[in-house]
Amino acid sequence: MKYEAVIGLEIHVQLNTATKLFCDCPNRPGDEPNRNTCPVCLWLPGNLPHLSQEALEKAAIACLALNCIIQPVSAFDQKVYYYPDLPKGFQLSQHHMPLSRNGWVDITAEKGGMKRLRIHHIHMEEDVAKLVHETEGKTPISLVDFNRAGTPLIEIVSEPDIRSPYEAMEYIKALRAQLRYTGAAECSMEQGTMRVDANISIRPEGTGEFNTKVEVKNMNSIRNVGDAIAYEIARQTECLEKGEAIMLHTRLWDPDKRVTTAMRGKFAGPCVPDPSVAKIRVTEDWLKKIQERLPEMPAKKADRFAAEYGLTPDEALAMSLDRDISEFFEETAKQGLPPRKVTNWITTHLAPLLKDRSQAIGETALTAERFARLLAMLEKGVINTHGAREVLLKLLESNESPEDLVEKGQFRQVSDMSELEVIIDAIIADHPADVEDFRKGNEKVVGFLMGLAMKASKGKANPKLLREMLVKRLA
Amino acid sequence: MSDIYTYKNVSSDVPAGAVSPLSGVRVVVQPNISVRGWPCDAGSGALEGFVPLQDAAVITRLKSAGALLAGSSRMSELGFGLVGETTVRALEEGADVAVMTDTMGEARVTAAANGLFGFKPSFGVVSRFGLIGLVPSMECAGLVARDLDTIVDVMTAIAGKDPNDPSMPDEPAVDLASAREGFECPFRAGVVKESMDLLNETEVRSFKAGLARMEAVGAVIQEVSLPGYSLFRTVHNTVASVEASSSAGKYDSVRFGHRAPQGKNWNEMYLASRGESFRSLVKAFLFQGAFFQFEDYGAFEDACRIRNRLVGETMDVFRTVDFLVFPTRRTGHDPWEAASVKAVYESFLLTLPANVTGSPAVQVPACNVDGGVDIGLQVMGKRLDDARLLCAASAIAYTVPGGNAA
Ligand SMILES: [Zn+2]
Repeated sequence: MKYEAVIGLEIHVQLNTATKLFCDCPNRPGDEPNRNTCPVCLWLPGNLPHLSQEALEKAAIACLALNCIIQPVSAFDQKVYYYPDLPKGFQLSQHHMPLSRNGWVDITAEKGGMKRLRIHHIHMEEDVAKLVHETEGKTPISLVDFNRAGTPLIEIVSEPDIRSPYEAMEYIKALRAQLRYTGAAECSMEQGTMRVDANISIRPEGTGEFNTKVEVKNMNSIRNVGDAIAYEIARQTECLEKGEAIMLHTRLWDPDKRVTTAMRGKFAGPCVPDPSVAKIRVTEDWLKKIQERLPEMPAKKADRFAAEYGLTPDEALAMSLDRDISEFFEETAKQGLPPRKVTNWITTHLAPLLKDRSQAIGETALTAERFARLLAMLEKGVINTHGAREVLLKLLESNESPEDLVEKGQFRQVSDMSELEVIIDAIIADHPADVEDFRKGNEKVVGFLMGLAMKASKGKANPKLLREMLVKRLA
Repeated sequence: MSDIYTYKNVSSDVPAGAVSPLSGVRVVVQPNISVRGWPCDAGSGALEGFVPLQDAAVITRLKSAGALLAGSSRMSELGFGLVGETTVRALEEGADVAVMTDTMGEARVTAAANGLFGFKPSFGVVSRFGLIGLVPSMECAGLVARDLDTIVDVMTAIAGKDPNDPSMPDEPAVDLASAREGFECPFRAGVVKESMDLLNETEVRSFKAGLARMEAVGAVIQEVSLPGYSLFRTVHNTVASVEASSSAGKYDSVRFGHRAPQGKNWNEMYLASRGESFRSLVKAFLFQGAFFQFEDYGAFEDACRIRNRLVGETMDVFRTVDFLVFPTRRTGHDPWEAASVKAVYESFLLTLPANVTGSPAVQVPACNVDGGVDIGLQVMGKRLDDARLLCAASAIAYTVPGGNAA
């Protein structure tokens, strides 16, 4: 029998607010342990939580970016469980009345075309403290760091629409791109600002049944999510084929062994409405203000880029997927440069450089205005591609003008015919056999000789002119 | 430490010579109302050694109004019921007013049993910030005093919106100044017919004497019906025990509180510590709450729904009368003797409705006539009608023989 997987993802995303969800402590979990704490987030008796407006606004923006409908009334519940990372005995979470419902993201389907994946709801909740396990002599000890306790999270719960590891990974990527666009969250699985749990069950292909699902946790990259799901599908298929029943339980992904293993059942407690946190009632005015703060999202922006700048659909998409890049592209193109040339330079030169350096554009010294001046010099033939690349590298690090860098580094391209003539002369004299080859009809020789000539000019020759002169001389 | 006070204030927080609204008023609090630097164990081993870092909003306001904090008196564990509390003795020995939590009627019943005035404000009128509570949706800072003027003065100082308590609804402030303005007669007071079934002969006689006093100051007494009256107890018990179970979750004996020495791991340590910290009455109550949370959540949801209905029914009754009148305490059910959750509820049966509906209620010592027992006269008002209620209570108190009214 052929089986198909039914996958739902529960994704926790940390909001990058200045403060925690229910107190004024800084939202910086990485600081020196227990530095960012107060009586509220230490949950000392007598204290009352007060909901951060910023967290509510950022959560709402995130919901809108994922096409969810903000609910007129939402409320916090006490999710009861006892564990040392939660010493007040319950987590404040919106269980019964989430902030928003019924969203979606579009992904490119495995066989091409678009597939819409639905989001069931998004709710807000507070993060718990971090446990650090150490040993003191031979005694194992556990330490609790409350810096993370009470920091704001949203949990995005998908519908069980996902059918394959590929779709799961694309779903996470699409969601991440949307959320990063809003500026409300970093969404890094590696840094722990995005955590993904997968619910997986399998069923005979084509049937509509929902079978016992298994939850898989502890994946720390998008790739690991794909691998863990693939492993789990294979494991469950094998179980069914052997006639074994699938049990409802939770498994942990082991990134080294690349398998999932069953974990001890975590006790799931009840959720009771919290009488101390006021209900959230959304007014039309407020919602309108939040909607206005939502930036132009990638899909819409790509359409506009294609229409306004004459980019191909692929180029337009590439230029709009990341908000920084999209703004950088548009600013550069507005300086009067051919948009497709700007696109080309961003994709083939700038983006790989940034990736190598693990930097965002904003973290470098490069500005759109200086990038445009560099490309303008390339357009006018003052420099060639090689020179432009060298200058671009320097522009990432220094605030000097591109013109000064061209002069200083002597990147100005050589278009002086007499200078180029000298180089060509020398190369032809040194390679008589290759020249002979060419005259016998081997055109590939031109490329070889061009390479030598460019090298001899230290990359500064105007390649177009050089080629013309070389071909003329060889003929 | 004395046998009355768990902590006695030796310093004076009020500069000499300052004249403030509460100058010279000595206040005794329970150790579940946070006072910075004072031990606040809420009468429980679970909070042994806990010293708050901040004053409760009530304390901040009392201090700035010039009140003298005398100390904290002994209290029942976590303010559940009335066991071993020494509030009245502190009042007998010089304190003018006691601030104690009123979760099921503790302040009013304490007052009724001792010929004193007791007041439970509307929910949301006095900040709960710094109150080490057990049942957030039912409890509030209640007041007990020898006279009503002190209660009005203290209420004037402590009432009002507090940014530290975001659960206080956004509503116009209660105008307590009008509580001194005298009262427009006649006013209509309703006797809930379903509540009369609870009373024995002695209680009925005593209650009727109280009603007569009300009529004497111009009240028109009429019978009204609250069809859901018999459900107040179940609703309170179910909702309050669930909230208590959640609230008490933070007592893990790690950061403060009694810690049991045994236990191989954190889980065993929690269990042993909590087992040793809580006494049997609170333990039984927490067990009930945990049962509803984990085993019968539907019953809790039903209780919440019925609670909303009871609030609605009560509001409806206030369309026809200004106040509702009940006795405050029962003769055969002494809360100080209550050894089970059931017995505790029996003894607070008459005061629960105000906590369930968030209504203000005042206890007037009024019925000690004809050699009978004083079971107290309890007048309950519409939510946020605190000022008018206190005003009416003053009018009634004025007629009390022995001059309890100041
Ligand atoms: Zn804090």
